[in-house]
Amino acid sequence: MVSVINTVDTSHEDMIHDAQMDYYGTRLATCSSDRSVKIFDVKNGGQILVADLRGHEGPVWQVAWAHPTYGNILASCSYDRKVIIWKEENGTWDKMYKYTGHNSSVNSICWGPYDFGLILACGSSDGAISILTYTGDGQWDIKKINNAHTIGCNAVSWAPAVVPGSLIDQPTGQKPNYVKRFVSGGCDNLVKLWKEEDGQWKEDQKLEAHSDWVRDVGWAPSIGLPTSTIASCSQDGRVFIWTCDDPSGNTWTAKLLHKFNDVVWHVSWSITGNILAVSGGDNKVTLWKESVGGQWACISDVNKGQGAVSSITDGQQNEQ
Amino acid sequence: MAARWSSENVVVEFRDAQATAMSVDCLGHYAVLSGRRFLYVVNLEAPSEAPRKISRQSKWDVGTVQWNPHKSEAHIFAASSNQRVDLYVWRDGCGESHTSLQGHTRVISDLDWSWFEPELLVTSSVDTYIYIWDTRDTRKPTGALSAVAGASQVKWNKKNQHCLASSHDGDVRIWDRRKPNTAVEYVAAHLSKIHGLDWHPDNEYILATSSQDNSVRFWDYRQPRKYLNILSCQVPVWKARYTPFSNGLVTVMVPQLRRENSLLLWSTLDLNSPVHAFVGHDDVVLEFQWRPQKEGSKDCQLVTWSRDQTLRIWRVDPQLQKLCASDIVEELMEGMTLTTESEKTLRSQEPPLSPSLTSDDLQGQFEASSGRQDPAGLVQTLQQEFSLVNLQIRNVNVEMDAVNRTCFVSAHCGANQVRLVVKFPAQYPNNAAPSFQFVPPTTISSSMKTKIQKILTDTSLQKVKRNQNCLEPCVRQLVSCLESDAEDGTNPHVFSNSVSPALPAFPRVTNTYGSYQDANIPFPRTSGARFCGTGSLVYFTRPMSMHRTVPPTEPTPRSLSALSAYHSGLMTPMKMRSESQSTLRLYSGSPTRTDKEQVSISSFYYKERKSRRWKGKREGTDYSNKTLKLAGKVIIQDISCLLPIHKALGEAYILNMNDIRDTCQKNAAAALTVGRRDLAKVWALASAATSLDLYPDSDPDTDTPWARHPFGRQLLETLLEHYSQMSDVQTLAMLCSVFRGQGIPQDYFTLYGPRSSGFTLHHSRYPSFTSSSVTSGSCSSTSDSISAPWNMAGRDAEQALPWGESSPDEVRYANQAYTDPREREKEQHDMNKRLLDPANTLQYDDFKKCYGEILHRWGLKEKRAEVLKFVSCPPEPHKGIEFGVYCCHCRSQARGTQCAVCKRFTFQCAICHVAVRGSSNFCLSCGHGGHTSHMMEWFRSQEVCPTGCGCHCLLQSTF
Repeated sequence: MVSVINTVDTSHEDMIHDAQMDYYGTRLATCSSDRSVKIFDVKNGGQILVADLRGHEGPVWQVAWAHPTYGNILASCSYDRKVIIWKEENGTWDKMYKYTGHNSSVNSICWGPYDFGLILACGSSDGAISILTYTGDGQWDIKKINNAHTIGCNAVSWAPAVVPGSLIDQPTGQKPNYVKRFVSGGCDNLVKLWKEEDGQWKEDQKLEAHSDWVRDVGWAPSIGLPTSTIASCSQDGRVFIWTCDDPSGNTWTAKLLHKFNDVVWHVSWSITGNILAVSGGDNKVTLWKESVGGQWACISDVNKGQGAVSSITDGQQNEQ
Repeated sequence: MAARWSSENVVVEFRDAQATAMSVDCLGHYAVLSGRRFLYVVNLEAPSEAPRKISRQSKWDVGTVQWNPHKSEAHIFAASSNQRVDLYVWRDGCGESHTSLQGHTRVISDLDWSWFEPELLVTSSVDTYIYIWDTRDTRKPTGALSAVAGASQVKWNKKNQHCLASSHDGDVRIWDRRKPNTAVEYVAAHLSKIHGLDWHPDNEYILATSSQDNSVRFWDYRQPRKYLNILSCQVPVWKARYTPFSNGLVTVMVPQLRRENSLLLWSTLDLNSPVHAFVGHDDVVLEFQWRPQKEGSKDCQLVTWSRDQTLRIWRVDPQLQKLCASDIVEELMEGMTLTTESEKTLRSQEPPLSPSLTSDDLQGQFEASSGRQDPAGLVQTLQQEFSLVNLQIRNVNVEMDAVNRTCFVSAHCGANQVRLVVKFPAQYPNNAAPSFQFVPPTTISSSMKTKIQKILTDTSLQKVKRNQNCLEPCVRQLVSCLESDAEDGTNPHVFSNSVSPALPAFPRVTNTYGSYQDANIPFPRTSGARFCGTGSLVYFTRPMSMHRTVPPTEPTPRSLSALSAYHSGLMTPMKMRSESQSTLRLYSGSPTRTDKEQVSISSFYYKERKSRRWKGKREGTDYSNKTLKLAGKVIIQDISCLLPIHKALGEAYILNMNDIRDTCQKNAAAALTVGRRDLAKVWALASAATSLDLYPDSDPDTDTPWARHPFGRQLLETLLEHYSQMSDVQTLAMLCSVFRGQGIPQDYFTLYGPRSSGFTLHHSRYPSFTSSSVTSGSCSSTSDSISAPWNMAGRDAEQALPWGESSPDEVRYANQAYTDPREREKEQHDMNKRLLDPANTLQYDDFKKCYGEILHRWGLKEKRAEVLKFVSCPPEPHKGIEFGVYCCHCRSQARGTQCAVCKRFTFQCAICHVAVRGSSNFCLSCGHGGHTSHMMEWFRSQEVCPTGCGCHCLLQSTF
């Protein structure tokens, strides 16, 4: 049974824009238009406010937890054009790094797979994508892809660390030849794939299907299968599932998951990569699952039948 | 046909014209209106005269009509109709079509006469061609620009005779007509269709584009990447054209939702607010053109044609023109009406929300916030006030008579009816309040009359004290008074929904959040769902009390700039009952609030106050003070049931390679307890397939190995494929581990392998980074990932690998190394007898790694280590300090515990003299050492080296 295991009252003073749990699912980070980021301990159904992080000067759009290998690290990005990386040390959260290299709102952040070290991609409305890599001793190396998306970049998502064409043998005793890749979506209605080659980021692919701004992209986690999968959603209400079976990663095929009536803001993959959570302007959350036959079907309307906790759609007034 | 004259403009109605286009000739004498059946030529000198008609026979509407702009050819105009352009000659009061230009194959979207050559005309069409015509040779175009995409607008440059611009959806192309094959420049100007294109009258490189994406952008086409300036509007912009006088711009919006027909005059030097609004048309303004200035006249005249079938002529006096020219607008504000006034006055009369906030307070706040203080002595004429006043209030009718300085306000509310005469003294609004007088058929009681009278007088005095207009606030006060009275007076603060929200002529954004206008920033998410951990879904939605201010049928806006529309009140909700605290906050730069930034995403949504429902139950409770939550709750759901993996199985599964049969049976039982009957069967199959009597013979000649049997490798691969499709990485990883264990010679496990599943064989070549379990003084090389702290978990565990397995390339490339065919056969057999296809080893490793990661998230670190033992892939090469060892047998340098040369163990324990495979510790001084456990025990009581070399290891190695 799908069951609610916790309902966290965040006490944010304004609307919430993101909520994310850490690697183990024990802590919850939320961010809001009230310019704060809050961290809650949600172990065993509790909800203890651990930290109220103030530092942004505008609405905070997104938060992202780093892999715990590197400690308790949380990144947040905001309308104030800043990315702040917070770290917990001896029980207190503090700013570890503040990145101010963007000229407009930073809309999306995503930590890379832990195999690559501490590496964060940031997409901004100035059209650029920044890749911040921790090089030790409080130093961050910054690479910026300017004009990654004309008008603005709305979303970034890393590819899982899999060796390209896993089935090809790797020479023994060497570090697996991981290629760093990520996907981004922007106001040019495009989904773009990026690849690091010789330390430089290059546009690898350009996926065209959306007819309006791409609002979110999500690279599905890998369970070891050779297929790569990406979900993208857009202002046009469409959600596309992009797949690539080709080991060279060049042929992507799009499949329309669904056309919603309102903008789709967010897509999120389950850890096994077979369920997609979709949410958008209609204030609803739907879960989609790929059947064995490769068809996508809506398996649940998370909001259904939970009067008290769920939201309602516009127009239908809940008289509870 | 009737003409109404006023001091402001000329209005002529042509009821039957049904004209779609209009043009004013270059001499300013005539305007042509193009209807379907007739073209009407209006004499602008005497517009009320009956227009001359030119009949036309066409079932198509005229798309565009334009007079030739050259004085020598001023009698000629062109009108496009579907695929054809007709050229008309207008002489001596009658006109006729003398020729047609035919060439386009689809409908013509625009035409434009050249500013330099009177014979040249350019036409654009959706057929993707742009044709340049010479009227002296009308058989075919003299030039064709191939645009590939259909064009919506085409315009000649006003300064460069060869240059022209066309718009294609959201793009602009700049052409040199001498190079017709390709555009000189591309400008990705807008995100949506461009409706209007206009070249700067004086600058050859600058143009303005207006678009469906709610903006006007200004471009220097030499810098096509970045617009020079942007005018963000809240509605699509139909046309934006430069004025003939300096720095002005006139815009027409595409009306949305409501009849927003304003024709706005802007100064391009200050795009924050328009300089003037031409108010009057009741429907969409279809076309506007400037009438050339007459000799000696300083006034400019704007001629407009609207779907309301009226032609209006607006006078733009030099003062207004100057407003566009000057960048110190404030200084010249005197005598000018600002449209903001109506917004401001409207705001300030909102009823107080709580008893502590009187309307006076509010008003003070509004003024403080408005940033544009009225300069002292700002004079506004009554006509201006009347023309700008916004009185779209239900049940209210206002008749304004500017000449007699009076107006009649009629309102009825329920059974009550009120008629009020308002008389404006000559000095009004300079500290002179109008008088209010009730006249029949007013039906309200005399006490009510007194009350209203007092309220109105107070309101008007407040305004005129500041030399501000007061008609609109007074009328709104009157309505709210009547309505609160109708509601039995119990709650004077309920603002009835019959009062329509403010409809300022244009939206305004104060400077504090000017950047909110940025159209590039996506509209924020107010709901979202994210899978977290392994089996949780975290989601949040907009709180139930927050409703969208726009009907649900309308999509959520895509960019943040849309917000300004909502807080400016342009699209305020129809059913909004009261100003909520936070919306109010948007309008007031309330000094009590420290927040600098008042606008919030929440302003897109309004809060339901539930006043209706509560009113009956909780009479008298001050519900207005109840704070409404803007942030909803974050809900964490357990969705693990939807996933193919099970934490319970992760805990229960075992991997005991010494007794595969037992492992399979136990795992089958575990699968049953979580209800996975399919997995129970799979484990039963696994048990059968790994049975010892099927164990392959090492001699390739005896028989075909079981792996070659259909129930062997094939069956297993089918299973793996099935579970791959289900994304059941747990089953995949477990099967791969079991069969990998099975594929390795049994003696491997009995010799080196774990004796029980609880004990893991490890060896590490690397010293631990966290030598917590190590006695001081010696450098540890523990690798016990089970007991080691997990802060380097990811790395450590992958180092903990079984050694001695052949990696796939050893298997593969080995073939080439062997020259003996028997060796090769043996090798082949070795591969054939495995149930798991060695070619896919890396993929199987990925299953295990991925499952290991999931186990890690579940906190099952030991289980993770067990699974990762079966990964064949070598770990990442160690980058830290490493200890070189000389093999004790062949003295060659070795890394790790096994010598690469002699294949024997490289060193022995100083205490037990047995080769060391697992974790070991060495003294850095004398180089002696051995099993960690032995060393620990020894140094618990001793200080010198166990070999008797005399080294004080504990002291020597302390660092």
